[in-house]
Amino acid sequence: MTILTRRSVLRSSLGLAAAGALARPYIANAAATTAEVWFAQGFVPEEDSAFLAMVADYQKASGNTIDQSTIPYAALRQKAVSAIQSGAVPDMIEVADFYLGPLQAWDDKLVDLSDIVEPAKAQYVSSALPCCYFYNNVAKKRGYYVLPMKIAAVPFHIWTSLVEKGGSKIADLPKTWDAFLDFFMPVQDGLRAKGMRNVYAYGYQLTANGVDPENTFDAFMIAYGGKDFITPDGKLHTDDPQIKDACVKALVKLTTPFKKGYVPPGVVNWNDADDNNAFHSKLMVMDFDGTISTEVALYHKKDEYDDILTHGMPLSNDGKELPSQISLFGPVIPKGAKNVAVAKELAKYMIQPKVLNQYLKAGLGRWALPIPEIVNSDPFWLKEDAHRTAYTTQSVLSPTVPIYEAYNPAIAEVGAEHVFMVAVFDVLNNGVAPEAAIDKAFKRAEEIFAKYPIQQA
Amino acid sequence: MTTVSAIEFGGPAVRRQSLWRYWRGGLRGSEFTWALAFLVPYIGVFVAFVAYPVFYGLWMGSKPSLYAEVFSDPIYQQTVVNTIVFVAFGVNLKLFFALLLSGFFMRPGWWVKALLMIFVLPWAVPELPGFISIHWMLNGEWGLLNNALYQFFGIDGPSWLNSRWLALGSAVCSHVWRWLPFWTVILLAGRMSIPTEIYDAAKVDGATGLRRFAHVSFPLLANLYLVLTLLATIFLLGNFNTVYFITGGGPANSTHLLATLGIRDAFDLANPRLGVAVVMSALPLLIPLVIILIRRIKNAEVQL
Repeated sequence: MTILTRRSVLRSSLGLAAAGALARPYIANAAATTAEVWFAQGFVPEEDSAFLAMVADYQKASGNTIDQSTIPYAALRQKAVSAIQSGAVPDMIEVADFYLGPLQAWDDKLVDLSDIVEPAKAQYVSSALPCCYFYNNVAKKRGYYVLPMKIAAVPFHIWTSLVEKGGSKIADLPKTWDAFLDFFMPVQDGLRAKGMRNVYAYGYQLTANGVDPENTFDAFMIAYGGKDFITPDGKLHTDDPQIKDACVKALVKLTTPFKKGYVPPGVVNWNDADDNNAFHSKLMVMDFDGTISTEVALYHKKDEYDDILTHGMPLSNDGKELPSQISLFGPVIPKGAKNVAVAKELAKYMIQPKVLNQYLKAGLGRWALPIPEIVNSDPFWLKEDAHRTAYTTQSVLSPTVPIYEAYNPAIAEVGAEHVFMVAVFDVLNNGVAPEAAIDKAFKRAEEIFAKYPIQQA
Repeated sequence: MTTVSAIEFGGPAVRRQSLWRYWRGGLRGSEFTWALAFLVPYIGVFVAFVAYPVFYGLWMGSKPSLYAEVFSDPIYQQTVVNTIVFVAFGVNLKLFFALLLSGFFMRPGWWVKALLMIFVLPWAVPELPGFISIHWMLNGEWGLLNNALYQFFGIDGPSWLNSRWLALGSAVCSHVWRWLPFWTVILLAGRMSIPTEIYDAAKVDGATGLRRFAHVSFPLLANLYLVLTLLATIFLLGNFNTVYFITGGGPANSTHLLATLGIRDAFDLANPRLGVAVVMSALPLLIPLVIILIRRIKNAEVQL
């Protein structure tokens, strides 16, 4: 047995210190070719496999090493905020929500990726790119801070079997907004008449959790003419009567079916995934939820997968095309990253059209490809699967508008506070008139916007 | 090292030596070095994982403008009310029932012990799966509770998580369910430490049942009960899991506690400093509680 003496302890400590000092250049060399990357975990295992395959291909091609982690998106967000706050950041973080990118870009916490995105601009859907183009309040200018990789819109998801069982036909789905939405109420009546006690027409997320409620309210507001709620110059237009009218109509359209019993009462306190779970359990006929994750989750259950109809935006009430609000997700490089060079090289690699196409295809097409040329030429996107066809058409080929966060990060705070869902709750539970609820929401939005002045060029 | 003689060299040398020895804790030569070697890792861990996070947190929440922002948030004001209600009901219900139940579990009999084993199960179950299950059970349309009400009594139960007070009440009940066994066991231990001779003497004097509780058990448990109340209050002021997993702070942000609102501000608004400020705003209440608690614990030691 070795006897531990003071000398032996000191000798060992000195030995370790010397070994560390001698090994330092080699460790530094290894670090120079290694980048730490955090990505959001996919909704289905295929998404994670697709990411790992892309990383493996990059490592093979470049000789660099990617120290990658895939993390559930809610946890990733917390980890990302903590890392940026503490300064101990990885080299790349995927942004999996609407808020992190614009808020951190505002505070000058992200590396400007314009040198990567600008040369590749031509390949993208032009209306999508502003989703990654944020204002930096230190540099007093805009730049591309998120790498544009995955496009997302909000489609309708409809159980065709429930529609038929409720006595209606999918072929009779109306083309215009109000009529389209109203179509589902008689379906619920028909299902209830057949003894299906707890099935509802709609699964609107009227809760103060996650980004779905914001998506929902924005889509309804845009459908009633409120597209210019925030304009590309970052200005809030709560003083515009047309905007207020659109917001009030959106609020009424969302709350009236709830009051009449066509929306599960629990929606006011649902979690982010509760609508997916309820829809998968066939407890609602229609859901309005971002991406085709709802369908992709059932990809290996062929009967159920085929039973769902994915539907883009109907026409407006006056018969015009309604734009879908879209977001463009991808990674950011936080300031303070140790290996920006490798991270940027990886970023350039990932947005190569072929690489990106292969990656998103391997992920079952849950996210659409923001490159119209490939969308039109690769049969995967428009010809092989009805869900993908509808979703890709909606998010890439039809009229779209970027999420408002692209224009002003203040709306990220409005969204995180769920100001408009508080208005919904005021109408539903507190008996407040829709106009008064919107006035209160506008007042709060104005208070938040006052904190985010954007200098005009 | 030879001892310096105060007689030979005068007073100041003795003082220097005493201070040096005092600082070394009376240890000599290599004993002191070894003691230091064992202490350094602990000090390192303490500084890294206790002192640094605390001071970093204080530094993060040190800007006065943060508090102006916190107080102007309309959700913050109702969050303060929620926290007070949650702590007041959570602590008092839990400890009152624990006091009663500890008396029940003092009864002799194997079945009481068997019941005690079953009773502590909620405490043994991991907290998060327990609360997530309760969240699902309370779902108004498809939850177990309302379906049971419908199946057995033909009535539609309320949407438990849809109104502020019902949702907050559900969170309080869930918290009491979860932590009641813990506090009951502590009070049970307190009751068991009361000498049986006192009860025998009280019995001779005719004190039984409620009178025995009022005049013997409760006065002897009072100090422990007060300490537990203070401790539970401190614990509950920072409680996060219950509300986060039962109500999610909803509906419409109406059931947030300071801890859940702090997390929302830190991560959803990506503003950790604001989140820290929200939590820090409880310090004016928390610090006096800690001081009172430490004083009471000292008193308790004297009494025991």
